Amino acid sequence: MEVIKLVEEAIDRVKEGNGAKINFIWIEANGCAGDIISFLNADEPDALYFLKEMVNLKYSPSLMQAEGERAYEEFLETLNTDFILGVEGSMTNVENGFYDIFAYYKGKTVSVAEAVAKAAEKAKHIIAIGTCAAFGGISAARPNPTGCTSLSVFLGKQVVNVPGCPANPLWVMGTVASLVLYSKVEVDDKGRPLMFFKDTNHINCERRSYFDNKINAQKLGDKECMFKLGCRGPVTKAYCPIGRWNSRINWPVGDNTPCIGCANEYFPDGSEPFVRY
Amino acid sequence: MPGCGASKNKKENAMTIKITLDPITRISGPLSIEVEIERNKIVNAKSSGVQYRGFEKMLTGRSPLDTVYFTERICGICSVAHGVSASLALEDALKVKPDANGVKVRNFAHAADFLQNIIRQICLYVFPDYVKIAAVPGSTGNDFRLPEKFTRKINEDYIKAIEYSRLSHEMVALIGGKVPHSHGIFVGGTTVNLDPLKIIRLKSMLQSIRDFIANNMVEDINIIAEYYPEYYKIGGGTGNLLTYGLFDEMGEGELHYVNPSVYINGKIDKLNAKAITEGTAYSWYSGNKTREVPSMEPTETDIKKEGAYTFIKAARYEGKVMQVGPLSRMILSGSYKNRISTMDRLMARVLEGKKLSEKMLKLLEVIEPIPAVQGKYAIPESSVGMGLKDSVRGALGHWIAIEKGVIKNYDIVTPSVWNLSPVDERGQHGAMEEALIGTEIRDGEHPMEIGRIIRSFDPCLSCATHVITDCREPYYIELI
Repeated sequence: MEVIKLVEEAIDRVKEGNGAKINFIWIEANGCAGDIISFLNADEPDALYFLKEMVNLKYSPSLMQAEGERAYEEFLETLNTDFILGVEGSMTNVENGFYDIFAYYKGKTVSVAEAVAKAAEKAKHIIAIGTCAAFGGISAARPNPTGCTSLSVFLGKQVVNVPGCPANPLWVMGTVASLVLYSKVEVDDKGRPLMFFKDTNHINCERRSYFDNKINAQKLGDKECMFKLGCRGPVTKAYCPIGRWNSRINWPVGDNTPCIGCANEYFPDGSEPFVRY
Repeated sequence: MPGCGASKNKKENAMTIKITLDPITRISGPLSIEVEIERNKIVNAKSSGVQYRGFEKMLTGRSPLDTVYFTERICGICSVAHGVSASLALEDALKVKPDANGVKVRNFAHAADFLQNIIRQICLYVFPDYVKIAAVPGSTGNDFRLPEKFTRKINEDYIKAIEYSRLSHEMVALIGGKVPHSHGIFVGGTTVNLDPLKIIRLKSMLQSIRDFIANNMVEDINIIAEYYPEYYKIGGGTGNLLTYGLFDEMGEGELHYVNPSVYINGKIDKLNAKAITEGTAYSWYSGNKTREVPSMEPTETDIKKEGAYTFIKAARYEGKVMQVGPLSRMILSGSYKNRISTMDRLMARVLEGKKLSEKMLKLLEVIEPIPAVQGKYAIPESSVGMGLKDSVRGALGHWIAIEKGVIKNYDIVTPSVWNLSPVDERGQHGAMEEALIGTEIRDGEHPMEIGRIIRSFDPCLSCATHVITDCREPYYIELI
């Protein structure tokens, strides 16, 4: 697979000393912290190998050993280095960021919004990981109780968007690999890496022949096309039918359920109802 | 000061030191802890959930069937549990009798996600509290007592944990399509069409995961327990225990695990769902009254509220503070001695992983390799439903009210709303706060005890603060 080759090439480059190993800050903003869990599901290479060989993971609330003030200091120290900023979760900045707190430091509360703004000023590359960070996602679902926005809206500038609820680890892996290797990644008009978001799931769907022959599933569990049950594959650009999920073991359509368009800009409100009969 | 890991403000009384730890890393979601220490002893503790999302507000007006996939997105590490409780609530509301084989498959996936959680929580979140782990950034380097050979072994198992937790999620994905936020757990049981190849694949995955837990992890936690024996004596908290049950619908044989039950003042009783309440006396929500669950409408936030310090509410049972999670289940099922401490919570979590993986192997023997039984589900004009089941962190309840075919109200009470709750209107501290209070701090510069006690509860803030309930309905319930 193209992506795997790219990742392997990036690792080789780092090993040969042709590419400097860059620091990585992974911030968990307003969301479910499911993108880091998804990333831990990466394989070939796995998350550990990737983070050890390709980047220096300097800050990750889920993984780092330090806590409290010392953890925040690790974050501050990394800001003075070359680093990639990855943010999962969406941004809430109403009530001075009170709905999502990052740290308590020297008697002062630091909001996630403040920390992200600070890091974004200095980051070499910025990646929005998952649909919440890329487009607002489920955290911004109506009536959007915490005034959540995407990372790019919050920062007022374009970032690399790797949507998906959660982001598929393969997509995050390939995106970082491209940044490490070429210092850039080719994106579409929504900031999404073209290598994963060029085609809709429908184009590559294994049930496409059922669609073409107008043979429809009647309920979940059926083997035919699920367009009539609400499948959003035709309007969802993603890499699911090819890269699949969880070590390429399966994907929602393979499980006899419709694509709910979780990588879309308008997810979840624009995808509802997820299932209809 | 750098390296101390805590902010300290000396208050007017020179004898009292206030420490705020934020972020508490290696948990799910943002948590802040404030403790007051007098003469090296914690005399007060505040558990503060510092994130708010408002899921119940979002769910109002949506299609009832969407709750399964929607509520999974409350939590990145325990998404399957929300899918299970949402499916149960819908089956109750829609009067759907789930297919017996489908329920077995769903329980298998639910338990597989338990294994993922247990491996990641113990190895990735807890190990770095006691052992220097080379693979992760930001070592504290304080109070690490293990000799080199054990440090090396646990480092090796940390690496293996990445593999086996991923493999646990692969089992879920084989049934659920993907995970986190899987699709195959649904009303009626499951959507996956099982065949002999999938069954044998699940079996081969499960056997290696079971071996890792039963051999490596059990040994690791015993090593840690041996070098940190005082943790059997600290961080206990309330002795009142609660579970909504797990594998309780699997008959009375070897597949059965634990019935919905409570342990209060030395007596085990059946769970009474009507005795569950939520209070907001010290939470950033308007109103101070304790309400029956389910509530009638979502709460409004009030971040200026006097005395409030968290977005987490205070769940209580018959007005009492309850402890939930693996240790509660293990004790209530008679699988673990009735002893509560920081180390017992860790030990029970690992032993539950071993126990569950063995039950799952037996469950596979009775799951039939047949297509999913699914129907076209009709949404009633109006109905209510309740879905109570234990997730890995403890009791997880979903309550749905349907009107005019859409969700009128959705209420969720998560395990961390029990364990991480603040002080209630009667002045009772939440379970974790109570566990912290009274703890002796050995080294004031490096208060390692705090983080270790907190992590033994396996906090999930993503869950705890995403769910809020009513404050407005003007009724009280009688507390027994």
